[in-house]
Amino acid sequence: MSYRLQRLPVAKPSVAFAARIASVVLALLTAGLVLKLVGMEPLALAGRVLKSTFGSSFGLEDLALLFTPLLYCGLAVAVALRIGAWNIGAEGQFNLGAFAATGIALFVPGPDWALLPAMAVAGALAGAAWILMPTLARAYAGVSELITTLLLNFVALLLVYWVSTGPWLDPSGHALATTARLPVAVPEFWGIVHWGLPVALILAVGLAAVFAFTRWGYEVRIGGSNPGAARYAGMPVRRHLIAVMLLSGAIAGLGGMMEVAGTVGRLQGGISNNYGYLGIMVAVLARAAPLGTIATAFLMATILNGGIILQTQGLTTHTVLALTGLILLYAAIGDEAAKYRIVKLAKGA
Amino acid sequence: MISIKSLSRRGFLNMGAAAGAGLLLPKTGLVRPAFAEAPLAPVDVKDAMIAFGHTGPVSDEGWTWAHDQGMKAVEAAFPGIRTSFVESVPYSADATRIFRQFVADGANMVFATSNYGDFLYDVARRAPEVAFYECDGRTHMDNLGTYYVQHWYPSYVAGIAAGAMSKTGKLGYVASFPVPSVYSGTNAFLMGARTVNPAATVQCIVINSWFDPQAATQAGTALLDNGCDVLFGIMDEAGYLQVAEARGAKAVMWNTDLRRYGPKAYITSIMVDFKPFYVEQVRRRLAGEWTPTYGLLPMGQGVDRDAWGETVPPEVAAKADAARTKMMQEGWSPFVGEIKDSKGTIKVAAGQKMTEEELYHWDWSIEGVSGLDA
Repeated sequence: MSYRLQRLPVAKPSVAFAARIASVVLALLTAGLVLKLVGMEPLALAGRVLKSTFGSSFGLEDLALLFTPLLYCGLAVAVALRIGAWNIGAEGQFNLGAFAATGIALFVPGPDWALLPAMAVAGALAGAAWILMPTLARAYAGVSELITTLLLNFVALLLVYWVSTGPWLDPSGHALATTARLPVAVPEFWGIVHWGLPVALILAVGLAAVFAFTRWGYEVRIGGSNPGAARYAGMPVRRHLIAVMLLSGAIAGLGGMMEVAGTVGRLQGGISNNYGYLGIMVAVLARAAPLGTIATAFLMATILNGGIILQTQGLTTHTVLALTGLILLYAAIGDEAAKYRIVKLAKGA
Repeated sequence: MISIKSLSRRGFLNMGAAAGAGLLLPKTGLVRPAFAEAPLAPVDVKDAMIAFGHTGPVSDEGWTWAHDQGMKAVEAAFPGIRTSFVESVPYSADATRIFRQFVADGANMVFATSNYGDFLYDVARRAPEVAFYECDGRTHMDNLGTYYVQHWYPSYVAGIAAGAMSKTGKLGYVASFPVPSVYSGTNAFLMGARTVNPAATVQCIVINSWFDPQAATQAGTALLDNGCDVLFGIMDEAGYLQVAEARGAKAVMWNTDLRRYGPKAYITSIMVDFKPFYVEQVRRRLAGEWTPTYGLLPMGQGVDRDAWGETVPPEVAAKADAARTKMMQEGWSPFVGEIKDSKGTIKVAAGQKMTEEELYHWDWSIEGVSGLDA
């Protein structure tokens, strides 16, 4: 009797879930071992991270504020992945959304109840506008959106740096390299946590429903997994591609609006804090499932927040970054490993 | 984050109450307003925790390294004191999380060694028993002080040497952001250079970072390609000095003695020393004497030029040092009108002397400086 490994095209959900849990646990154990070797107390550190994050409402509120932009950006990338497009530009669309919302808040007079929706719409439209060119280039000329969306991130970042240190600079002279504080803010509902979070959660649930229950969602999924077959079946793949990519940009742009109007309060360079790039990891870990994105964005927020606490305990930024990368590496290995099963071979086979 | 938004509601009520109290109290003299400046309670050194949030890595051999030396001086002056620091704190909501974590860990005093603005104030407002300091800050609170250096004086002195050693009269500047430190640094540098070369100019390239050796190196190369032959900047590392050395140009640096990265190119450096300041403020905090201060460390007490580089001719060094001596001994200031901005408008009238406050808040380029004004 002998055994061999067999690779399945898709992992069984229960196995995939177990592999995910095992990989996170193994990554933490490895990290703990490394910390022990450099002379730190891993268990005490872990206890401190858990206590600081989950042991007080301040910690939980901080976590929720970190979770929100990660969820927007994760959803943006996940949606595009559904039709087979890689939106590497969520970072830029996030910046543009923040930029447009700031423009409305600073220069358009009006009551809060009218300004906030206008800012949200402007943020989403700006995000969509930022991905419009890559979308059309991909849809009509077959240009890889990987490169075009990525390169536009730098343009967006420089635009935000320029307006926040130049024409839109805070005139008070008390704040450097930033615009004035926005006169309106997304209302808070729990401590410092604002409505950007529930809106993102509703968005995730809504998107999951659209993909699961509507014809449009079905056609998008087929268009993503097998464009040839979808076209043959008469589905308007190109139209869906354009719509989905613009939706992706809009979600990231809305995230930027929520960050500037809910969390930070001023537009400044670096407001995106790499959320757009982290969103790629969030979406990939969730396998582009909107509901899964909620879980992976939360995991990512917990890890990043833990990283901040570890930094105050004497770990360098680089060590913390390496630990974060370690967890993701293990998760990727676990995902792949979950596709294998051991089969027993009959004698003589 | 919260507190700013609460300004619109709760904050306004508080401000109203404070204003009301302010009106009433001088008459009654019975109640002390809550915002009166009383020193924070003393702390035993064994229970004390001092935290530092840095903009770059402590190994940068520049700005952050200099502040880290300050933390080490505190540790030496108060044996047994607990310290904590975080490097490369981003200018984003992550900064708030880091400063809040310091407070959660029991910090009695928190130094932000760069301008973190609202990200710091949000935490300071919610921790009134903790002393905060913001380097290069411009906001005053009951528990938040500011500190910085009068770097425009040594920048002027270095400018005299740079102007004398430049053949083209084109000086280059690697800038972080168009912020007052950069305006005052470039303006002072050019004003110094023009005392020996009235046609000198300063061209700036903004790289949107205080610590990005690669971008600083590229900016330095671009400036030299553009005809500049002396580089200055406000970087936390030695990137553009190495470019100048390789290309046979000259460079003026910031923070520390970096001459070994470019001995031929090195003119001098705007040296900073925060050790006595940190030790004194921690002493005041522990002793229960601390109330916020807003001082700028003067030349000779926290900021100065470094010893001149090996290629600086003695007569050039002597000329620059004459200005330095005049500043330190006679209180002489070169920042006297008439001074025009980059658009030709007279901003400082003839004979008028700029105040330290104006120099600290300088937010326009003088005529001859390009690349900063929008």
